[in-house]
Amino acid sequence: MRNVAFGQYYPTGSFIHRLDPRTKLFAGIVFIAAAFVADSYWAYLACYAFLIFVILVSKIPILQVLKTIKSVFFIILLSVILNVFFHHEGKVLVSWWKIKITAGGLLYSGQIILRLMFLVLSTSLITLTSTPTELTDGLEKVMSPLKYLRFPVHDVAIIMSIALRFIPTLMEETDKITMAQKARGAKFDTGGPFARAKALLPVLIPLFVSAFRRADELAFALDARCYNATEARTKMKILRFGWKDLTAFLFLALFLTVIAFFRSGFFGLL
Amino acid sequence: MSIEIKNLSCVYGVRTPYEKKALDNISFTVNEGESVGLIGMTGSGKSTLLQHLNGLIKLKSGSVKVFDIDLSKRRPDLMKLRKHVGMLFQYPEYQLFADTVKDDIMFGPLNFGMKKPEAEEAAARAAELTGLNWEDVKDRSPLELSGGQKRRVAIAGILAYSPDILVLDEPTAGLDPLGKKEMLDLIASLRKTTVSTVITVSHNMDEIAEYCDRVIVLSDGKLLYDTTPAKLFYEEDLAPLHLQPPHAVRIVRLLENKGIRLPHDVLTEDQLVAAIKEYFSGGGHA
Repeated sequence: MRNVAFGQYYPTGSFIHRLDPRTKLFAGIVFIAAAFVADSYWAYLACYAFLIFVILVSKIPILQVLKTIKSVFFIILLSVILNVFFHHEGKVLVSWWKIKITAGGLLYSGQIILRLMFLVLSTSLITLTSTPTELTDGLEKVMSPLKYLRFPVHDVAIIMSIALRFIPTLMEETDKITMAQKARGAKFDTGGPFARAKALLPVLIPLFVSAFRRADELAFALDARCYNATEARTKMKILRFGWKDLTAFLFLALFLTVIAFFRSGFFGLL
Repeated sequence: MSIEIKNLSCVYGVRTPYEKKALDNISFTVNEGESVGLIGMTGSGKSTLLQHLNGLIKLKSGSVKVFDIDLSKRRPDLMKLRKHVGMLFQYPEYQLFADTVKDDIMFGPLNFGMKKPEAEEAAARAAELTGLNWEDVKDRSPLELSGGQKRRVAIAGILAYSPDILVLDEPTAGLDPLGKKEMLDLIASLRKTTVSTVITVSHNMDEIAEYCDRVIVLSDGKLLYDTTPAKLFYEEDLAPLHLQPPHAVRIVRLLENKGIRLPHDVLTEDQLVAAIKEYFSGGGHA
């Protein structure tokens, strides 16, 4: 594997890795909720303390987790700029022409940074600690009540896991084709935007041809093995809730309570 | 000297659980006119080594020199390098993209700065070299050709910009026996007429024995042997590499067990037949 993508499964075999994927999906919801419930710097301090604790338990190098922020850097930047300039509250620090920067705006932007970073870091922990297969299995289970609404849960799960399965394959293929065209003198980084887009054709066309060929072959292979996505299919690895998951759940509940306490000012105690 | 590689090492995914040492201190040279076979199991570092020969991955440690292009220098002229070293990847037919065979073969020459009429002429010449009927195929879509023809188009796409060295990654993979034979004969005839220096990756020891004057064996990123096919197949123990010697060599060994000693330079079917005839015509037996 050449370039390990950000947020890609990072095996360490830790406590978190061995949790049931459903627990981790639930944790994802708790993280998202926490990020929006927290509304003070103290609450964020608690969030990050919790996050660092989880990262330590997962035994994933912190730098590896931090790398995932790169992918949303521009979104963070954009929302900070918008808030610095358009959120007006409290003392005016800078005022020039139509632009006003206020103390409240800066503080609020700081919170936005912390909130977005927390969202990305905590949810990427889920993909860092579970394999795509585990995640789709987990999702299938979580979505299974939708079956009663005639929603094709199993088919959707299969489609998802096939899509996930082929991401690295197609990436590898892109790599190979790019190299082959480079060897024939193709240049991908010169010229204007139009020339650059056109330069991608020699990669995109073979990539599409091969994606369709693979899809075709896979369909035949599924057919040949009488695959029909019926309910009778069983799983090799059955998901089981264990004491680990119970521990995680209690821990998450504690975390959410703490954050909620911060919001209510400890029920007026502080 | 055409290619000079010194202390080349390459590590993928540094400081991740996926860290892998793909090449470990490799040194060798290739002279003009040599046909070098490259052998090694999957994951032994062959592909990584080949990619270095075209500047497709960044050189991190060691040096690679092709003619006067030194990849360890800052900003080497990669276009010049790629024009010198024509590289045919595995299953090259999957890299064809243009609407017509003509456009696909002309892609390389145009990239390397030829003018259109010039490039078309070069494309026609390259196509004929590979045994394609230019008038017949030039306006057809490469996708509607047969597997063997597609591969010829891919090779023509490389020959069209007249490289000085040809690097072939498993050129016969996935072809039927006849296609294989035709491909190997094509490469042999190219060596006589257009490109004299060829590096071939192959898993077929019979092919290596017949078409290469030198073999380089990679294992776990290390250079294990750099020798002649005769020495490799007769003197070295290939079992740990899971390599079967060529059929001729195996037959020579079987005959030896029966007390018939043939010379240890027999590598191909023709040589074997000749050696057996020679032995029984009175030359060899005691």
